[in-house]
Amino acid sequence: MKTVDDADLFALESAALANARAAHDDPRADARAALAEMIVHYERLMRESRRLIRRSDRAELDMNQMNRQLHELAQQLEYRATHDPLSGALNRAAVIDQASACLQRSDVALIVLDIDHFKWINDDFGHPAGDAVIKTVVNCLHALLGPEVAVGRVGGEEFSVIWPTADVEEAREAAARICNAIADQVFEAPIDRQITASVGLSWNAKGTTFEQAYSHADEALYAAKRAGRNCVKVYSQLPLPQLPTQSPQPAPAGASTLCH
Amino acid sequence: MEPLFIAASPTSPEIDFRFDQHTLSIKGESYPENAAAFYGPVIARLQAWLEGCRDAGITVNVSLAYFNSSSTKMLFTFFEALNNAAMAGNQVRLNWYHDEDDDTILEFGQELQDDFGALDFQDHAVSY
Repeated sequence: MKTVDDADLFALESAALANARAAHDDPRADARAALAEMIVHYERLMRESRRLIRRSDRAELDMNQMNRQLHELAQQLEYRATHDPLSGALNRAAVIDQASACLQRSDVALIVLDIDHFKWINDDFGHPAGDAVIKTVVNCLHALLGPEVAVGRVGGEEFSVIWPTADVEEAREAAARICNAIADQVFEAPIDRQITASVGLSWNAKGTTFEQAYSHADEALYAAKRAGRNCVKVYSQLPLPQLPTQSPQPAPAGASTLCH
Repeated sequence: MEPLFIAASPTSPEIDFRFDQHTLSIKGESYPENAAAFYGPVIARLQAWLEGCRDAGITVNVSLAYFNSSSTKMLFTFFEALNNAAMAGNQVRLNWYHDEDDDTILEFGQELQDDFGALDFQDHAVSY
């Protein structure tokens, strides 16, 4: 009686082989009968092998096709999970992930910008025109900064640019170029007026948290709004908030960069 | 003969052989750790019963959504036993069920038809 462990997929073939060997070793054996038996098994084995291989090939093909589809779907999902469907910019979660990762590796400037009077654009030209403005701004940022720079849409008409640099002045220049590029951008009909953005910049040493980097950039953005919009404010150059008893200080020269 | 029933497991199909009704059914998915150990006793019971069958009408229902290569090897033995019984004068009807979208199992069934010509092969595409 065979135990489970002895169970052999090739039990039939093993038995046939044993019979053939015994016939081969015995000079008085009926060689033709042994050969006939062997032929039957050999033919069966060939037939079964052919079927198995064909089935495996088909299954392998199916599996490869499904694997390709799965890979494509995973890429689509990954894209959708990290991008804003309207503009193709990174979404808020992806901006947080990428900026956090950058801040762990190096010094990073975080640039946030907000389209000025966006509500008026929606009110005057309709939401489809507003959507077109959002798309155009993102295209403008990509064209200006190149494909390597992370551009995100963090809110309705608010965008952010992650700019790894040790040089505050370089980041300020990048922010000024962004501000200028949007002011210079011609928007498609029905938009018939200049559109501008206010830009805030925080420069953050390696190891700063995203929350802090963002809240500083946001503070600078609102300083730019208060300063009349269409300009850049840098957080480190803002008046220090912990000195409320002093008379309001003018921002140091160069803190506000008025755009076109 | 006593019926043979083995409940399905996550890796092996349900075996439901009602010998007194001449109805043998295999249903589920088949990729047991040791296909020879799983199917060996099943085929032994089948062969013992078939030896006593004379001019019998036998219905075999196979509804396997997936079976691996070692299960396939054992299924060849299973179908060969049925084919031999059919050649010995029994009427063996094989109902081959497959998902209408599963061409691999459909084509495998068609090949069984070629290899085991004594079986009355009936293909059934099932939509889930």
